[in-house]
Amino acid sequence: METVEREERDGIITLRDVNKSYKMGENVLHVLKDISLTVKKGEYLAVLGPSGSGKSTLMNIIGCMDVMDSGAYCLDGVEIEKAKEKELTGIRNQKIGFIFQKYHLIGTYNVLQNIVMPLLMRGMTLKEAREASMDTITMLGLAERMEHKPNELSGGQQQRVAIARALVGQPAILLADEPTGALDQESGKEVLKLFDRLNDMGNTIVMITHDLGVARHAGRVVRIVDGKLYENGVTVQPDAAG
Amino acid sequence: MKPNELLRLVWINITQNKFKTVLTSIGIIVGAATIVMVIAIGKGGQADVAEQFKNLNAGAIDISYDGGDRERGGQSAEASPGGGNFSGGEGGFSGGRGRSPDEAGGGVLNGDSFPGGRMDFFGGGSDMEERINQENITLDEDDVDDIETFVSGISAATISYSTRSSVEGGELDEAQTYTIAGVREEYAQMSNLSLAVGEFIAESEDENKDKVCVLGASVAEEIFGSAIDAYGSVIYIDSRSYVVNGVLSSMGTVASGISPDDSIFIPYATGVKYLVGSSVSPTITVIAEDVDNVEQVSKDVAKVLAQTYPNAEFTYEDAGSKMEAASASNEILTMLLIAMAAIVFVVGGIGIMNVLFVSVKERTNEIGILKAIGCSRKNILFEFLLEAAAISLIGGILGVAASLCAAPVVEYLGVRVELSAAAFLIALLFAVITGTIFGFYPAYKASRLVPVEALGAE
Ligand SMILES: Nc1ncnc2c1ncn2[C@@H]1O[C@H](COP(=O)(O)OP(=O)(O)OP(=O)(O)O)[C@@H](O)[C@H]1O
Ligand SMILES: [Mg+2]
Repeated sequence: METVEREERDGIITLRDVNKSYKMGENVLHVLKDISLTVKKGEYLAVLGPSGSGKSTLMNIIGCMDVMDSGAYCLDGVEIEKAKEKELTGIRNQKIGFIFQKYHLIGTYNVLQNIVMPLLMRGMTLKEAREASMDTITMLGLAERMEHKPNELSGGQQQRVAIARALVGQPAILLADEPTGALDQESGKEVLKLFDRLNDMGNTIVMITHDLGVARHAGRVVRIVDGKLYENGVTVQPDAAG
Repeated sequence: MKPNELLRLVWINITQNKFKTVLTSIGIIVGAATIVMVIAIGKGGQADVAEQFKNLNAGAIDISYDGGDRERGGQSAEASPGGGNFSGGEGGFSGGRGRSPDEAGGGVLNGDSFPGGRMDFFGGGSDMEERINQENITLDEDDVDDIETFVSGISAATISYSTRSSVEGGELDEAQTYTIAGVREEYAQMSNLSLAVGEFIAESEDENKDKVCVLGASVAEEIFGSAIDAYGSVIYIDSRSYVVNGVLSSMGTVASGISPDDSIFIPYATGVKYLVGSSVSPTITVIAEDVDNVEQVSKDVAKVLAQTYPNAEFTYEDAGSKMEAASASNEILTMLLIAMAAIVFVVGGIGIMNVLFVSVKERTNEIGILKAIGCSRKNILFEFLLEAAAISLIGGILGVAASLCAAPVVEYLGVRVELSAAAFLIALLFAVITGTIFGFYPAYKASRLVPVEALGAE
C-alpha cells in the first residue's frame, strides 16, 4: 500500500479501480474494468489496444469529458469524481490539452481563432491570446496559415493546428487519441517527432493508439484488452495492431 | 470569455452564412414590419381623428329636434340627408334627422332613396299624435335668445341648418347639388372658420334676408376655379342669384360628415325664406365656457327649452362624446392590429426557435469541441443567445426597411400611415426580445450537451 500511495503522490494522473459501462437496452456493456493507472509528470505514455477495447472511453474519462461509474481519479491534485461541472470546465481548459484523431477544428473559424480559443475562454483578448500563442504557432510552422480556414489545409496541417490549440494553454497533460490515425505516414511521422520534442520539453503526454509502431515512440506503453489494463510485458494476448 | 470576444465569434458565425441568417430571421422581419405598420396606422388613425376634430370646439353642444318635423320631410326631400351628414364635428349643423339613435340609419335611407314615400309612411301616423315629439316644433332664434339669457356658463350660441340644393353659375356646365348651410354671423367664429377672401355672413344680411353667400374652399374652386375668381361673382341656388361675399380657407376634412370646404353658407333667414321654408330643421349650437361643464349646460338648456316646449324631447350631442367615440373606435382598431403583430411575432419567434434547434443540432460537434477545450455552459449559452439576438436584430432592421417600402403602398390603398422613429425602436426592441426569448431554449439545450456525446456526434 505504501508504494501505491507514493505513486499517487508523484502521479499527475492517478486512476484507481475505474469502471465504466454502457447500457445498451437490456444488456450492460462493461467497457472499463477496474482500471488503475498512474502517469508521472513528464511521462510519455502510450495506451495500446485493439479497436473497441475501451481506449477512447478511458481517454474521455482522463480528459474529464465523461464520468466514470465507480473508482477514484486524481488529476494534478484535483479529485475529479467530486468535481462539479463548472470545475471540470476549468480543468479541461487549463490542465488538459486534447488532440483528436479527426482534428476537431471549428470550420467557421480560421487557424488563429481555432488555436487561441482556449485562451479566449480564459478571458484573454484576441490580441493577448495571439501574442501568447505566437511561439507555439511558429514552432508548428503555422505562421503563414493563420488566416486560413481549416478546410483549406492538409490533414497534417490541420493536426498541427489541433496540436497548437492543445499546447497554447500550457496544460498539465496532453491527451492524444490516435493523433496519427487520419494522417498519411509522412505527416504521421512528423506529428510523432513533434510529440518527442514536446516530451523532451517536459510535457506529459498520454497517447492512444492501436499501432505498436506508433506506441514505440512513447517512454512507457500500457495495453488495454477487453477493458482491462495491462502494464507492458504482462502481455496476455498478442498485439492486435495490424 | 470577454464579451467583445464572444461578440466577435457571434459576428463570424452570422456573417458566415448570410443567406441562412436572413432566412432564419424572416419571421422576425415580417413581425418587425408589422409592428412598424401597426403603430404607423394607429398613429395615422389618431392623426385623422385629431385633424377631423381640429376645428371642433370641445365645449360645443348641438341641440336638435327630431320628432314631428319628420312629417315635413317629404315636402323638402333634399333637406334631410344633408342635414344628417353635415352634423360633423365642426359643431355647426346637426340636422335634425338621421342623428337620433333610433333613426340614425333610417333618416338617411328615407331621405336618399324614398323621398316621397316617407311622407306617406310617417305622415299617416297621426294616431300617435299624443306621443312625445309628435308635435311640429321648430327651434328658432327666440330659443337661442332664451338660452343665452337664462343659461349661464355659455360663451356663444347660434342656430343653423343645412340642406341640399341645386347650384348653377360660374364654370358649371350644369346644375350641381351642394350642401347649403343657413348660418348666422357668429357661426364662423364658433366653428373656427377662417376666410381666404371677403367677409362672412353679417348680421344685417341675415336681418335683410340678403341673397349673399360664402363658399367653402372646394366649392369655390369647383365653380369658379379659384377663390379670387369666385369673390364677387354670382351663383344660382335653386335658380335664385346669390352674390359671393367671401370664400373660406381650406379647412380639411372634418369628422363624420361634410367639411366646410364642400358647403355654401347663406344667411339663416335668407335660407328660411327662399330654400327650406317651414320645413327647416335647425340645430342650436351652444358652446360651454368650461369643457368640464358641458353636462350641466346641457341640463340647463333642456330646462329652458322645456319651458317653451313642454312635451318635446331634444337630442343633445356634445363634441366631447363624439371625439371620444371616434378615438374609441380608433383604439379598437389599434388593439386589433397590435394583436395581429403579437401573433406574427410569436410565429416568427417559433420560426427562429426551429432554425436554432436545427443549428444547435448541426453544430453539436462544434459545441463538443468547445466543451473539450473548456468552454463553460454559460459561454455556450451566451454565444447561442447572442446569435439569436443578433439574427433577430438583423431581422428587425430588415423589417423596418420592409415597412419603409410597405408604407407608400398602404398609403396608396387609402390608409393613413404615420411612420415614427419610436415605432422603429419598438420594432427593433420587440424583434430582439422575441429572438432572445425563443432562442433561449435551443441555446440552453446546447449548453447542457454532454461533452463526450456532443463531440461524438457527426
Ligand atoms: N456512447 C456509447 N454508448 C454505448 N456504447 C459505447 C459508447 N461509446 C463507446 N461504446 C462502446 O464501448 C466500447 C469501447 O469503445 P471505445 O470507443 O472506447 O473503443 P476504442 O478502444 O477507442 O476503439 P477504436 O480503436 O476503434 O477507437 C465499444 O464496444 C463501443 O461500442
Ligand atoms: Mg477510439
